[in-house]
Amino acid sequence: MGIRFIKEPELINPVMIACWPGIGNIGLIAVDNMRRVLQAEEMAYIEPWDFFYPSRVIIHGGEIREMQFPASMFYYKRTDQRDLIFFIGEEQPAEGGRVYAEGSKAYAMANLVLDIAEKFGCKRIYTSGAAVAPIHHTARSRVWVVPNSKALLPEVKKYDNCLLMSDIEGRGGQGNITGLNGLLLGVAGRRGLEAVCMMGEIPVYLQGFPFPYPKASKSVLEVLTPALGISMEMESINRLAEQSEFELSSLYEKLPPEIKEQLDRLKQVLIATENNAGIITEEDKKKILEDIDKFFKREGREEQH
Amino acid sequence: MNPEQVFKVYESPRLKKPSLIAAWIEDAGKLGPQVIDFLVQKLDCREFGEILPEGFFPMSGVTVEDDVTQFPMSKFFVSDEHNLIIFLSNTPRTDWYRFLNTVLDITHNECGVKEIYALGAMVSSAAHTMPRLILSVVNSPQMKDILNPYGIISDMEYETPPGQKPTINSYLVWLAWKRGLPGASLWIPVSYYLIPAEDPRACKRYVDFFDRRFNLGIDTQELDDRMAEQNAKIARLFKENPAVEGFVRRLEINQPLEPEESERLAREMGEYLNRP
Repeated sequence: MGIRFIKEPELINPVMIACWPGIGNIGLIAVDNMRRVLQAEEMAYIEPWDFFYPSRVIIHGGEIREMQFPASMFYYKRTDQRDLIFFIGEEQPAEGGRVYAEGSKAYAMANLVLDIAEKFGCKRIYTSGAAVAPIHHTARSRVWVVPNSKALLPEVKKYDNCLLMSDIEGRGGQGNITGLNGLLLGVAGRRGLEAVCMMGEIPVYLQGFPFPYPKASKSVLEVLTPALGISMEMESINRLAEQSEFELSSLYEKLPPEIKEQLDRLKQVLIATENNAGIITEEDKKKILEDIDKFFKREGREEQH
Repeated sequence: MNPEQVFKVYESPRLKKPSLIAAWIEDAGKLGPQVIDFLVQKLDCREFGEILPEGFFPMSGVTVEDDVTQFPMSKFFVSDEHNLIIFLSNTPRTDWYRFLNTVLDITHNECGVKEIYALGAMVSSAAHTMPRLILSVVNSPQMKDILNPYGIISDMEYETPPGQKPTINSYLVWLAWKRGLPGASLWIPVSYYLIPAEDPRACKRYVDFFDRRFNLGIDTQELDDRMAEQNAKIARLFKENPAVEGFVRRLEINQPLEPEESERLAREMGEYLNRP
């Protein structure tokens, strides 16, 4: 179980931005887009053997040519404003068929990522994921921000288009961040590192589907880049977000009127506060998800014939 | 867990560059375990070690199959006379890399295994009357040469499609390749409607191959009897249920069945073949 270096660059007070897949791949798309746009270079990787089952085999002429594993890769970028380290995990090291990491392997991976952070002098880590929210896909996703210490609250409250858990109706500042995008904050805290998770909102009715939701990734980047004090072009994430919204709107048009009518109620949700009470209840939410699930199962069967 | 707690070897076999045959209990139609059970019994193999379950299987209770509890097992057998090591195991649920390397540590490092054969079944939509072919994926040109004289097909072009994972047999033989050990993942397509019962023809095909490869001189009369019994049962079913025969005949000429027809064929064939 170890880290292999490709390069060991000299970095000055870098900030780490780490991410694993999750609902809508919101964090992954945001961080990977940033990494690509800034042309960050490969730096190191975590050996996959102890964490993952192979993801792909390539066989040519009856002979195994390659066995591929989910990558857990570090990149670095020196910008005029600050040095950055990116960590992108293609898969969470889950046990027993679960999607999200938990247990000793998750803890081991979190520590390996933070070993690199500390080795290069990082004091601050950002992670990103999804916040399932009662919003409509035509609305701008907000970003739920959770720091790993009270000392960071004054700073994160200043971020634009962001919410704290305590801003959300009925939560009383409580919540969960599942998997490594959350666990890393806790482990970072144990090691005396500051960490903040930025979660882009995804409509509640999209949470169960394997669609990416780059619209929320765009919102995350709109918060993350000023927080880091860097600027980057947003053209590629804008394109992704527009394409995804176009596809979702086409799909939306196919929904039966009774489901659309229910979902249209979510257009009234402008901000998740106590004032939203009654727009969509837990019971409504359950029914909407069941109806959509039935709709897609029916669609799937019809397409097969 | 200390490395010495991962496995137990009761009595180290003294063999001269043996071969390893491995299979998994969860194999489709239980083909792998049937072949292993047959070989272990006919070759009078003795159990010489095991990999301990802790760390590889969830210790959260037991499953029940055919009214009795099941518990993960990973056992090594040896035939001293035929210079063979045989491994039968449940498929580990986690820490696959350590598990498969433990298999190789015991068989390669401790016993000096020179080649490995990981066998299994693949569910097929073809009719059961088709010939049973052994297909293979090898880890080296050397292994391809070894298999060449036995009519085993080894010309596959394949990349794991998104959402699927490589088989554990491919993973095992790839790890063997990393140690410079020739290996092959073998499989026989088995008709989906035989999966709930058994496929003695596929079992015999494997046994015949190993018989030739290792000069086992094995008596396969028992398998011939099981094949004859199954053929007779299927003939009776066809007589009693012409619709089922019709489905099979259509599969024989590559005419696909509707999902409901496939389901009916699998259900009625399975129920009939499993009757005492």
